[in-house]
This record gives sequence, C-alpha cells and structure tokens, in this order.
Amino acid sequence: MIESLFPVILVGAGLVVISILTSLISFRVGAPLLLVFLLIGLLAGEDGLGQIPFDDGHTAYFIGSIALAVILFDSGFGTRLRSFKVAAWPSLTLASLGVALTAALLAPFAHLFLDLSWLESFLLGAIVGSTDAAAVFFLLRVGGINIRDRVRATLEVESGSNDPMAIFLTVTLVDLVRAGGLGEGITPVMLLQAFGLQMGLGLVAGLLGGWVMLQGARHLALEAVLHPLVLTGLALCLFAAVSMGGGSGFLAVYVAGLVVGNGAHPNRTTIRRFQEGLTWLAQITMFLTLGLLATPSQFPALAVSSAVVAIVLIFFARPLAVWICLLPFGFNRDETAFVAWVGLRGAVSILLAILPALAELDASRTLFNAAFIIVLFSLVIQGWTIRPMAKWLGLVVPPELGPVSKVELDLPHGGTHELVVYRVTEGSPVAEGERIPRWARPSLVIRAGRSLKGPEAGRPRVGDHVYIFHAPTYGPLLDRLFAKTTALSAEDRAYFGDFALNGGQPMAALTTSYGIETPKDAEEKSIAEWMGGQLGAAATRGDRVPLGGVDLIVRAVSDNVEGKIIEVGLSLDPEGERKEPRVVGPMRRFLAGPRTWIRRAPS
Amino acid sequence: MKTNYEGAGMEITDLITPECVVPNLRVGSKKQVLQELAKVAAEVTGQSERAVFDVLLERERLGTTGVGNGIAIPHGKLSTLPGLKGIFARLEEPVDFDSIDDQPVDLIFLLLAPESAGADHLKALARVSRLLRDRGICEKLRGTSDPEALYTLLSQAQTSQAA
Repeated sequence: MIESLFPVILVGAGLVVISILTSLISFRVGAPLLLVFLLIGLLAGEDGLGQIPFDDGHTAYFIGSIALAVILFDSGFGTRLRSFKVAAWPSLTLASLGVALTAALLAPFAHLFLDLSWLESFLLGAIVGSTDAAAVFFLLRVGGINIRDRVRATLEVESGSNDPMAIFLTVTLVDLVRAGGLGEGITPVMLLQAFGLQMGLGLVAGLLGGWVMLQGARHLALEAVLHPLVLTGLALCLFAAVSMGGGSGFLAVYVAGLVVGNGAHPNRTTIRRFQEGLTWLAQITMFLTLGLLATPSQFPALAVSSAVVAIVLIFFARPLAVWICLLPFGFNRDETAFVAWVGLRGAVSILLAILPALAELDASRTLFNAAFIIVLFSLVIQGWTIRPMAKWLGLVVPPELGPVSKVELDLPHGGTHELVVYRVTEGSPVAEGERIPRWARPSLVIRAGRSLKGPEAGRPRVGDHVYIFHAPTYGPLLDRLFAKTTALSAEDRAYFGDFALNGGQPMAALTTSYGIETPKDAEEKSIAEWMGGQLGAAATRGDRVPLGGVDLIVRAVSDNVEGKIIEVGLSLDPEGERKEPRVVGPMRRFLAGPRTWIRRAPS
Repeated sequence: MKTNYEGAGMEITDLITPECVVPNLRVGSKKQVLQELAKVAAEVTGQSERAVFDVLLERERLGTTGVGNGIAIPHGKLSTLPGLKGIFARLEEPVDFDSIDDQPVDLIFLLLAPESAGADHLKALARVSRLLRDRGICEKLRGTSDPEALYTLLSQAQTSQAA
C-alpha cells in the first residue's frame, strides 16, 4: 500500500523538475512558459509519452483551487497600491462587466459551432471569460517590457480580480444548466443575492483578514522563516472560511494580499522571496495537473470548431467587450487595442471547465475540451505576440535606467532604514566618478574579497560591492547613481518628443512660443499643473497629452512627490512620428524576432 | 493659419540658403552662441539683432533646445519676419548648452518663424529635428568645415532620408 506512494512522488517531483528545466529553453524561443508547462502535462498524460492515466476531476479541482488561491494572494501582494489607484475603475469594470460581456458575446458562436444548448454556450463563455493572472503577470513582468503604467496597471489589476466574477458566473450557470434554466429552484433575485454575498463577503473578509495578517507580520516574534509560512497558512484559512460562508474565497485572498503587500512590515523581503517561489510551484503544479487531466485524443473531433470560437474570442468578443468597458475612461485607440490583446486565457479557464464534469452535465466533455483548446490557442497567439504588439502600438516606454545590480536586505526589528548592496557596474555614474551623497555613505565596501570600512575604501571601483543604509524614499535616487546609463536611441527620442520643457513654466509661454491656442483651463497654470489635470490619475513617465496638433509627453516625474511632473517632452509632429519609425522599426524587429530569440541567452 | 506644405514636403532647402551656413563659429558659452547666431540671422533677414536674441532667450527659458548628442535647435517667432529662416552653425569647440543629455553642443540649427507661420513652424522644426537625429549625417557634418560641403550635406540629406 505504502509502496504505491513512491512512484507518485517520483513522477510528480520529476515533472516539476522537468518543467523548470524546460523553462530555460522557453526563454530562448520566447514561448510563454505556462504553455510549456501545460504541454509537459499533456505529454506526460494518458495520450502522451508518459501515459499517466489521470482522470480524477475532483483531485484536479482540489489541487487547482489551492494553487489558484496561492497565486491570487501573491497577485494581490505584488500589486502596488499606486497601480491599483491608477487603474482601479477601468480594471474593475473590465473584471466585472467585461467578463459578463465577453461571455455573452461569445455564446452565440459557441452555440453555432459547438452544438451546445444556449445555456451551455453561455457557460462556455463564462468558463473562458476571465484573463489569467499568472499568464498576464508573467508576460508583463518577466517579459522585461516596460509598458505605459496605466495600461500595465489596468491589465494586472484586471487579471488579478476577474477570476471571482468568472467563477461566480460559471458556478451559477452550471447550477442553471442542471436545473434546466431559471425556475422555482433558481430565481433572478436569488442570483443577485448570491452575487452580492459572494463579492461583498469576499471583499470585507479580505480586508479584515489582510489587516489581521499585517498585524501578525508586524508583531509576532517568530523566526523570520516562519513568517511567510504563517501568512500562507492564514491566506488559505481565509480562502476556505470565506468559501464555506458563501463568499468568494478567491476575491478574499486577493484583497488580503493587496492589504498585506502594501503595508510596512519588517520581513517584507523574506516574505516576498518565499511568495515568489511558492507561486512558481503553484503555477507549475496547476498547469501540469490540468495538462495531465486532459485527454488530447479527444481534441481532434472538436479542434476546428473550438479554434473558430477561440478566434472569435480573440478578435471579436474580447476586443468589443474591452472597448465598451473602457469607453468612459479616455483610453486612446492603441491602449484599448493592447488591453484587448492581452486577454490571455489560462489555467483558471481550464480549472473552471472541470466544474461541469463534477456536476455531471451531459456536455461536460465538450465544454472541457473546447475550453482547453481555446486556452491553448490564446496562449500561442496572444502569449507569443505581446511584446511585438506592445512595440507596434507604441506603448513601450524606453527604459530610463540601464540594469542595476543590487540586493535588498531586511533589517530585524523594523527601523526606518533599509540596507542595500549595490555592485558597481561599468558605465554607471558612480564608476565614472560621481560622488555618493552624504545621506548614503557606504558602511562597508567589499573589494576583491576584502572588507573595507566606508571611509577606507575611497572612490568606488568597478566590481565593488557597496553596502548602504538609507531611508526608503531615496531608493530611486541611489538606483540612478548605480545603474548603467542608457543612451536613448533615435526612436526613443522620437517617443519622448523633440524638445524638453520645464514643467514649472507657464502654459501661456508655451502656447505663444508655438502659436497654439491656449486651452481655456490652462491660462493661469504651469505646464506640469495643466498636464496633471488632463491626465487625471498620478502622472507617470511616458504619459501623453495632445495639445493643438502637438503632443506633450511626461519625461520625468519627481522621485519624492508622487505624480509631480518635472520635465516634459514636446513632440511637434506626432502624426508624422507615428507614420515613420513606429511602423517601420517595430515591423523590422518583429520579422527579425525569431533570430534574436534563438540567439538570446537566458538571463 | 493654413498649411502650405504637406508634412513630408517640407524641405531643408526651403529653410536655408548657402549664406546661412556658418562653418567655424568660435564661441565660449551658450549665451555667446545665441548672440553670434542672432547677429548672423539679423544680417540675413534684416531684423533687429536684439529682437532675435530676446526671442531665442525667451524660448530657452521654457526648456533647453539642446536635444542631445551635441545638437541644439534654438528657435523662436518674430512678428516682422517675412518667412521661415534657418541658420546652420558648426562650432569650433563644443560648448555647454544645458542639453538634456548634459553633453556639450557643437552643431546648431537655428530656426526663426514669422508670427503667422502656425503649423509650418512646427513642421519645419520637426523636420530639422528628425534630420539631426540621424547620427550618420551628424558625423559627416562634424567632419567638414567647408561651407559648400556643409550646405550640400544638409540639402542632400533630405533626399537620402526620404528614400
């Protein structure tokens, strides 16, 4: 009896190892990593090389739910409150109305092509209605592209917060299909109540739970390594308890993660590292399990029709839903297009596709297989093209700093300073002789294996490791000193406009200089004030405001005061710029893409 | 303020003539650059030197026109000017111009526009800016002090760029 455990452990652990090693290859070819995990699961499964017979939907749903709870807690944990503020309304609209709209817009096509009843078609729409937090986060962050803040924040918050809505819709529709539609058993009023309870309880319990966790992280005198474990344990308790009480446990853990991740507590770095590792494990496990569960030999029968539905989803349902949802928020055409394109479906959709089988619906096989194929399509088509698409649409903000090599260390017992270790890199201002300011004098310098006290070391040299205690607010200033300086390419200069303007200068001086009509609300204002007002939310580098034929672009914001615009770029011929380098340059790079992907070494 | 040119139709030769090229300007500071160029512009256009200098200085207050890579494009508007006018200067020694990349400047394209130029002013500026964003052309401009060669480079650059 006990012996039979070992093969399971061997296979499970072996698959995790294989998945991680495969990630090296995936970095080289630029394939979405999660797609690779899914494929390994498929390969190991009953129809693949591994021939592992796994068709236990209950176990898969159990594993998947825990993994998703962990992933969503981490999504919340990693979302800065700043991003949340920048993007709260658009992303929450997308996460609620957007999911429902996508599902509704997709349903007629599912009905037409997949031989499903109307209710089942809506069910399929709901199953593939949410974007995948793991996939979106991974591609936007690890993908190393620096996308305009508002767009990135919208996508991240959307993907983190839309799962509860998709889950609610799916569970509701499964019940409806089983009951044969609305009737005495299920009334619209009941549905509304259930919705209110799910989201309301999830939100409130998430805020409370997050607060409790934060207090724990601050005041419990535990070994540092135990802090992240306690947090994860508490998060899963919260998830389970809220779900038992009829609320959305997934929403609760996301909100709790948001609260804990944005509060100050002494073990941040330890917790963050642990979370990162655990989230990777959760993602790998989830995708592997779902890959194993599928039976690819059943796919061909549905392949063509599901592919059509996937294409409708990618090119019609999602874009239209996104366009409608973003209408009130003043996103421009390119931004809306990008948000629509980053509608990656992922593990959550496959996880939800298990539910019809657990409820023993007639169409459960069709629903699961169709959802699986749609997810594969989305990961391949959208996942592989996010970077060129962002470039194409001009949403990539040229990086301000080159790579900076630093390690942050937690200080025990809190304190108001942080300890960072920088490696002095060639070409950084410090290496070029720039002085380190008085408030950040190095405490220790390690040079060629020898430890030197700050004053003994003298000027930092390339290759030194410099230990600095500093107040957290000065972090960006230090980064600037230790980062390799980047030369803006001609194309980047086009992005930031031809000329620089001081944000503090009056708008009137600008408009008279260039013969532009002064906007009514700008007469008394400085350039920075007027732009800030036009942008609404806190301004970030790369934000654009059109002004009578020219574009004003935020070039630099204050390191100390959030959203304060310091320097502004002036693009004199935005139309012309758009016509020239934006299409030619990215297109060339897009075509050259495969070559550079193959050559690029893993970082 | 009707546009006379289509965006791509704006030519550098519409802005400068051979006598608007200063091949070897010897100056020591940003202020001196603007003074010397105001003098040249005053001669070429018949405007008051003081007025040109003032309008350039006023524009610099808004933010530097040193666009980086050793290039500066000072500009301004004058009510009495009949048409767009450009002056190109190559400095003997680079000077500090408060440029956005903190690099000293040695290539300067000055552009003056009539008050009524409107969109043409912007198009011409964009044209000049795009021309001088080309590092190859800048290297060539730095490589010669012959006024005719400089003028040829500037006027040919646009044809090779358009291709």
